[in-house]
Amino acid sequence: MKNTMLGVIDATSYYDSLEDLLLHRSLAALPIAGRYRLIDFVLSNMVNSDIGSVAIFPKFQYRSLMDHLGSGKNWDLNRKRDGLFFFPAPGLEASEEGVGSFNHFAHHLDYFKRSTQEYALISNCFTLCNIDYQPVLERHMRIGCDITEMRHNGNSIDMYLVKTNTLIDLIQKRRETGYTCMQDVVEDMDSGFKVCGYEHDGFVQTIDCIEEYYDASMKLMNLSYWKELFKKDMPIYTKVKDEPPTRYTSAASVKNSIIANGCFIEGQVKNSTMFRAVKVGKNTTISSSIIMQKSQIGDNCVLENVILDKDVKIEDGVKLIGNPNNPIVIRKGMIQGALMNS
Amino acid sequence: MGKGRCVAMLLAGGKGSRLSSLTKSLAKPAVPFGGKYRIIDFTLSNCTNSGIDTVGVLTQYQPLVLNSYIGIGSAWDLDRKNGGVTVLPPYAESSEMRWYTGTASAIYQNMNYLEQYDPEYVLILSGDHIYKMDYSKMLDYHIEKKADVSISVIEVGWDEASRFGLMNTNEEMRITEFEEKPAFPKSNLASMGIYIFNYSVLKDYLEMDERNPDSSHDFGKDVIPLLLDEKKKLMAYPFKGYWKDVGTVKSLWEANMDLIDEENELNLFDHDWRVYSVNPNEPPQYISEEASVEGSLVNEGCTIEGTIRKSVLFQGTTVKKGAHVSRSVIMPDAVIGENAYIEQAIVPSNVKVPSGLCIMPEEGSDEIILVTESFIETLLEQEKV
Repeated sequence: MKNTMLGVIDATSYYDSLEDLLLHRSLAALPIAGRYRLIDFVLSNMVNSDIGSVAIFPKFQYRSLMDHLGSGKNWDLNRKRDGLFFFPAPGLEASEEGVGSFNHFAHHLDYFKRSTQEYALISNCFTLCNIDYQPVLERHMRIGCDITEMRHNGNSIDMYLVKTNTLIDLIQKRRETGYTCMQDVVEDMDSGFKVCGYEHDGFVQTIDCIEEYYDASMKLMNLSYWKELFKKDMPIYTKVKDEPPTRYTSAASVKNSIIANGCFIEGQVKNSTMFRAVKVGKNTTISSSIIMQKSQIGDNCVLENVILDKDVKIEDGVKLIGNPNNPIVIRKGMIQGALMNS
Repeated sequence: MGKGRCVAMLLAGGKGSRLSSLTKSLAKPAVPFGGKYRIIDFTLSNCTNSGIDTVGVLTQYQPLVLNSYIGIGSAWDLDRKNGGVTVLPPYAESSEMRWYTGTASAIYQNMNYLEQYDPEYVLILSGDHIYKMDYSKMLDYHIEKKADVSISVIEVGWDEASRFGLMNTNEEMRITEFEEKPAFPKSNLASMGIYIFNYSVLKDYLEMDERNPDSSHDFGKDVIPLLLDEKKKLMAYPFKGYWKDVGTVKSLWEANMDLIDEENELNLFDHDWRVYSVNPNEPPQYISEEASVEGSLVNEGCTIEGTIRKSVLFQGTTVKKGAHVSRSVIMPDAVIGENAYIEQAIVPSNVKVPSGLCIMPEEGSDEIILVTESFIETLLEQEKV
């Protein structure tokens, strides 16, 4: 069933607990799993499910998101017809609404009206998963549902399938009905819609706080979860950076870790995620940590339970030991010297 | 560099027969190199990084992989409105069908491609070498020296000089004589197969060469000697840096090993001179609890549970538990089975090495083992006996 679904991604979400990592970027652009941004997962799922028109509704700090997605070329969404669309929110007031604000959609109603796709798939931007939406659509049609809510272990994962016309109706009548988003509709027993649940049983992790972020990163070092998220026939696409392969020197020792390209590793790394082009100096030990792109860690350092945002520089001899329940987060571009620590 | 002033012609039709089964179904420029690249990536990236945005790629031998790899050139930023990359296969004319018989005739048959850009200069390249070079500097040199032709040369050791085409020059670096693989070299300046021609000179001399029935239509053997006879101004452009012809299994292996040498001259990590390649869209590499990786180059998409020493691993490689890989090159999507042992070898793409198999050279031998499927079969049969 080609080209029967629209993709709609709500990229407005923001969570205070992730503040340190979201100063310069929206949640959708949060780096994860070594070389990805959060939005890559749902966006790739859509592309892999034959969705050829995707609308992204961003709000705060979406410069890095725009930079990441560009024309959509890396997701094969730079098309003559359809492709990738951006619909920023007109205001900057924080909204209290759930995923897929009808108010936000209303400002861009023309997109929905002009689209020829019969169905719309509405998703959040902060769920790590690998889902094929085609079987969801098939089941939706077979059973004759009005709304399908995707679930994991019985809980909603904030992804909904609905007829585009129904969505347009819901947006236009939002004042009369009082519904602000899909969740409101699904939760209202008297909505008159036939609501179905679709259980997805692969790896699913929602990233809405720093603990979940850290936890998800640690879980991915389990090869069985890893294989549920990264499948040969359903690849996750991302922005290409042309980094060379990672180089391990003869002093390097790496155990149970996820390493992206372009890293230069001279020290010891354990239970950690290294994003692209990270440098790890001699005699340095890094464990249970997440090191984002282009961060540089000097010689003789000890890092444990630490999250380094991108472009962080750790000078020689620095010791940073966090708590697994409360990892130390170093903001983007910071320089950490040995003296600052004492 | 101004638009259309210099057009590059990249000769990528070579069979590379000394690469054995590695080039059975693909042309030499498409052979994987350095953990994520194909040989041609270096030349194409050189073009992009030198500001040359019009590149004709001449293909002939087994072009399928190469053609689909190059595509419209997006990976090298060569998908341009004007110029960009154009794949130029041999074609039939109303009178006859002509294969490319030599490097010179290949360019001659694509004169109409060059004619539509009417460039001032033509840069002729081969897609067989690993090096990083700023062609715009060579062009500056060519213009400054008011040369008709400039040929890039590199100093090689006197002991190996007789393996190359050598340029004898005067003190101003003007080429006085060209000798193809002489037994007694008078110079150690080897031609790198990189030429810049004034377009008018190229046109005239390719036509002359084409009319000569005794010519083998090769730049080195025929066109350069002809230019020298006619007293044209041929300048040698001295290049310093890493340059390697990866024409044999051994030299391909060596060039890969050069990359993991801590002192290696070919810096892949230089952000100002990126080597571009087509992205395979693989997740990061996963290194397990049991794994050990030292002194190696490992690409994304690898799953490593074994021991890796001084090796280059391409994307999608799997090394299972207990397996040991040392001083080897493992090409894309190959699988090394549990407890297998591999030393001093190249494992081609998609080859599955069965569990427990031991592949290593005879003691003291410097032979590089090419672990093809038929090699594995033979080895398994021997074990049965």
